[in-house]
Amino acid sequence: MLSSAVRFDRRALWTINAVPRTSVYGESLKQFSGVEYRRWDPNRSKLGAGLMRTNREKSLLLPEEGSTILYLGAGHGTSISHLYDHLCGQGNEFGGRLVAVDLASRCLRDLTHLAKTRPGLVPILGDARKHSAWGVLLPRRVNWLFQDVAQSGQVEIFISACKRFLNLDGIALLSLKAASERWTGEGEEALFNSVAEKLSISGFEIEECIELTGYEDNHVLFVTRRIE
Amino acid sequence: MWIWYDWQAAAVVDTDGAILDDDKWDGFYDHRAVIERLECIAQGGLTLEARTLLERFPDAKPLVHGEPELPEAEYPFPSEEAQLAVDSAALALANKGVAQAAGDPDKRLEHLLRASDEMRSTYLTMESRLVEWVGLFLPEARFGRDRTSLGKTVGQAESLEELSDKLEVSKPPVGPSKTEWNVLREWGESTAVFRGKLDRLENAIRELAENHLPSLSLMLGPILAARLCVEAHGRMRLARLPAGTVQVLGAEKAFFNHLKTGAPPPKHGHIFMHPWISRSPKWIRGKISRTIAAKASIAAKIDAFEGEPWTQINLDLMEQKVESIRNAHPSPQSRRAR
Repeated sequence: MLSSAVRFDRRALWTINAVPRTSVYGESLKQFSGVEYRRWDPNRSKLGAGLMRTNREKSLLLPEEGSTILYLGAGHGTSISHLYDHLCGQGNEFGGRLVAVDLASRCLRDLTHLAKTRPGLVPILGDARKHSAWGVLLPRRVNWLFQDVAQSGQVEIFISACKRFLNLDGIALLSLKAASERWTGEGEEALFNSVAEKLSISGFEIEECIELTGYEDNHVLFVTRRIE
Repeated sequence: MWIWYDWQAAAVVDTDGAILDDDKWDGFYDHRAVIERLECIAQGGLTLEARTLLERFPDAKPLVHGEPELPEAEYPFPSEEAQLAVDSAALALANKGVAQAAGDPDKRLEHLLRASDEMRSTYLTMESRLVEWVGLFLPEARFGRDRTSLGKTVGQAESLEELSDKLEVSKPPVGPSKTEWNVLREWGESTAVFRGKLDRLENAIRELAENHLPSLSLMLGPILAARLCVEAHGRMRLARLPAGTVQVLGAEKAFFNHLKTGAPPPKHGHIFMHPWISRSPKWIRGKISRTIAAKASIAAKIDAFEGEPWTQINLDLMEQKVESIRNAHPSPQSRRAR
């Protein structure tokens, strides 16, 4: 067990289903000693893929149960649904708060549907870069932040979001899509190195850099800690 | 001195982080009022409390919660109860935003246009299958021009003999079995039904495009106007594109091939569909498409910013311009003069 809700069981991740008997994106449901779990598909979720691939303690990638977290680029809610299982539990019994921001109304359609049965999930239709438009919903800084916005300038968005919303010593995960950045002609390796350098200059300690190739091609998941 | 504010409170803070004055709002039981406040902040507006404090401290600079300039201080953050209220307001706001997407003509136009493209390709495949199929049994039948009514004719015929009478060809030596004929007849029926559906789809596109893009529709025809709008990912984005991009919109493959290999650039993308270009001789199509693209770009700007739509007068002027290009270049430029 990685936490009270996340289970790592022979090559697969499972989370306790916060809304029993429903599958969010077609994942399989399974009972472990009478409790229903949902399978966390690493092919559909970059956070799931990162958890499968990491060489460090897996729980380093997960937020503290019952805390408030910020998720930028929420997408259709695949990762969000599992994070919710971990962070909030059934009917938000742990008292967590998951603030999920996405720009696309199509994605929000799925997220608001999720939020209907999941108190503590706060979907926001907004631009991840326009902090002042939705920043009032986060009165205090968070200890865990995830960003997955496939657009150019991902790193700058990440840095400015962390400066504003992340506590010192907080963990921030950046899923970087190589194809969204300007092609410098030096290959992906060079691109990822330059990003790592940019992050260290901006006051982040890189805990791990996880290649997601195989689950999600041309993606790297940076696990960083804000140190200044 | 600054005025810190969020959706439920405001406070005056000095450079040392001391709170000089504050004002709290306790109306968060009113769901709609909370939504209104969140919307106001999202648009960069000031809340009532912030304005009240601004009157008391006119020198203070109002900044929304989280602005980096603000000093660290004990701000009056929302209580747990207030936080729950604002969370449900945020959900309602998200729902509202999602619902508004249905009113977005750009998104509706995209579905309509893509649906009509898919319908057209299905219809054409079915129609050509029908022609081949009937031609197998009635080798003498010729449907050069009038293929469109074939589906209906086949669908209404009771038997292959009746069909051969209708098409005025000799009776077939071997015919299909009863069940086989029924399948063929139903295929004809569906072809005719698809034809009707396609027409209705295009009418829907015309109706929406003429409303959403009046000037561009007048100039290029509603279907082409809709296609440009969809290819540009929306009316506002189309309006912001330079005319040169509008000209080659839809010819991306040729355009990037040009950038990559230095092959000649494409002269036209989707706008080639316009008769002014497609019915003009080859050597002036580039010139005309430049003119039309420039005008289309203006039309798109008028539509996007909802200005006075163009009328027939503007169109006539444009036609004169195109005509003058045609007259100026009656024959292709000789290779030697180049």
